[in-house]
Amino acid sequence: MASLTIENLHKSYGATKVLKGIDIEIDDGGFLVLVGPSGCGKSTLLNTIAGLEDITSGDIKIGPKSVSGLHPSKRDIAMVFQSYALYPNMTVAQNISFGMEIRGIPKPEREAGIQKVADMLQIGELLHRKPSQLSGGQRQRVAMGRALVRDPQVFLFDEPLSNLDAKLRVDMRTEIKRLHQRMGTTIVYVTHDQIEALTLATKIAVLKDGYLQQFGTPAQVYNDPENMFVADFMGSPSMNLIEATVREENGKPAIHIAGDGAGAGDITLPANTPGLRDHMGGKVMFGIRPEALTDPEGADRTGSDIVQQDCLIEVVEPAGSDTFAVTRLGGVEAIARLRADADIHAGQTTPLAFNMTKAVFFDPETTARIR
Amino acid sequence: MSAPSQDNAVKGSVITRAIIYVVLILFVIYYLLPLYVMIVNSVKPLEEIRSGNMMEFPKVWTLEPWRAAWSYAQIGVEPSGLRPYFINSILMVVPAVLLSTILGALNGYVLTKWQFRGHGIVFGLLLLSCFIPFQIVLIPMARVLGFLGVSGTISGLVLVHLVYGIGFTTLFFRNYYAAFPTELVRAAQIDGAGFFQIFWRILLPSSAPIAVVTIIWQFTNVWNDFLFGASFSDFDSVPMTVALNNLVSSSTGVKEYNVHFAGAILAALPTLIVYIVSGRYFVRGLMAGAVKG
Repeated sequence: MASLTIENLHKSYGATKVLKGIDIEIDDGGFLVLVGPSGCGKSTLLNTIAGLEDITSGDIKIGPKSVSGLHPSKRDIAMVFQSYALYPNMTVAQNISFGMEIRGIPKPEREAGIQKVADMLQIGELLHRKPSQLSGGQRQRVAMGRALVRDPQVFLFDEPLSNLDAKLRVDMRTEIKRLHQRMGTTIVYVTHDQIEALTLATKIAVLKDGYLQQFGTPAQVYNDPENMFVADFMGSPSMNLIEATVREENGKPAIHIAGDGAGAGDITLPANTPGLRDHMGGKVMFGIRPEALTDPEGADRTGSDIVQQDCLIEVVEPAGSDTFAVTRLGGVEAIARLRADADIHAGQTTPLAFNMTKAVFFDPETTARIR
Repeated sequence: MSAPSQDNAVKGSVITRAIIYVVLILFVIYYLLPLYVMIVNSVKPLEEIRSGNMMEFPKVWTLEPWRAAWSYAQIGVEPSGLRPYFINSILMVVPAVLLSTILGALNGYVLTKWQFRGHGIVFGLLLLSCFIPFQIVLIPMARVLGFLGVSGTISGLVLVHLVYGIGFTTLFFRNYYAAFPTELVRAAQIDGAGFFQIFWRILLPSSAPIAVVTIIWQFTNVWNDFLFGASFSDFDSVPMTVALNNLVSSSTGVKEYNVHFAGAILAALPTLIVYIVSGRYFVRGLMAGAVKG
């Protein structure tokens, strides 16, 4: 087990810059999730950690030791691939022991290693099958077994759950988390699924276009986004981002959301964010998550800054545990998350509770957070 | 309404089917006729051929023409039969096919999984060798063989076929390995396997379909080659195809058609056997390589 440090990492393919100065540090036993949309560089970053791709500049350290320039097999890492990458011509047992065989570990030790991971992942009956005879979930387990048997300093997972169906994905997610808790090994995990990122990580790195957008705990990334991209990317349904004007009301800053004249009225909300004073009279983006925009009965009782405003409900989407209501704020659709049994109908004008302690504001020019 | 129309549809398909089968049977007869003539006349005494109809069944069955073609017919100046030349061809074909297949597989592996700067150009140049006509390389090849001191030997012929075959074998393997998941190679790298270990343990075991295609392709090409055989062989290294020509054109009086037919069948037999044994893999392998690339 070891910590992982990435310092000012740059990677380019010819003139194309893929990673532009990434700094990440994760403690021993941490679970780092790299998340971002396709093409953001997250898989490239993982491949550079694995040593499958060279870096252009910067450094990667596992523990105190720099590994840049080392062959993948010398870095003391193990990787689980998106396609599982099981050797099709070998049985499960041979797949698991291939790395040990290459390193010349004697047979009894290999057998013991296979047995240990087979017990841990409950794949004992599959050991003599070929990968083509396994289901998706079983292949996933075998791929993890092949990584586990190495007992590496760092595990690397490259979108391991994206080929599984929805239910299995949730099960395997829990299993990976349980495995991490039991083994305590440092993990780097790539995904484009922000739910996976939030549920698994101890630290999340959000990437876009080769830049690190934000690096922090899941709570930081979710509740305290650095910019509009992170705010929009993390969370499902995503954060409502509404254009608003900053005004002064009773000596305090407030934001004003213009109505569209077709049922949605003007709304003014008090806002205590100090940074807004610099934007007095200007436009800002007002961000509020669906769960901070609720029916008054469902509002957070401990919230100190809950404001009710009448809103026109356009669409109601019951989702079992919650009811989502689509309203219109500042000309764009906004989603409110109501209790499942909230008495609400499309076309109705009803008060919604805005939990302003949870509200965040962004500069529309730079997309940076106003604090 | 639906019942009669269904009737028509069935009847229509029966007629179409009948036409298709008739056409196919005609084609089969057309293609098999030469083989029939060869086989029938190779088991007849010569008098029957000269006196009668080539299409007729033999009245007297004899294997003498086969024995003659194999062991004592006049080939050029030697009454040796085709046997020594058959052995020459085997000695030439086996190493030429195996070496070109192995090198093609290695080339395909490097060109897809260990890509280097300019790999596209290298592949393009290798492909060029598939399109150069044999005749163009005759004189340069003769000089090279002379320079290497292998002109007129079986090793020289092996070298010629090896050089000429690499373009095709590389093409086959490159296209096959292009569809082979690179993640497997990466997984093996992390497992610590080296260049040849990955090739030997991961790629080759999955290459059976394309290896069969390559072996059939190379075997038929090398075995059936006449031009290189005629140009670069000496008395003791003449391959089967050239010997067959010498058998047919040796004039010691009468043309022994029955012996010639038997000799021709002997010359064609190995490729025929290779096709029959592994023909279905041939189509399967060609398809496998064709899907992605």
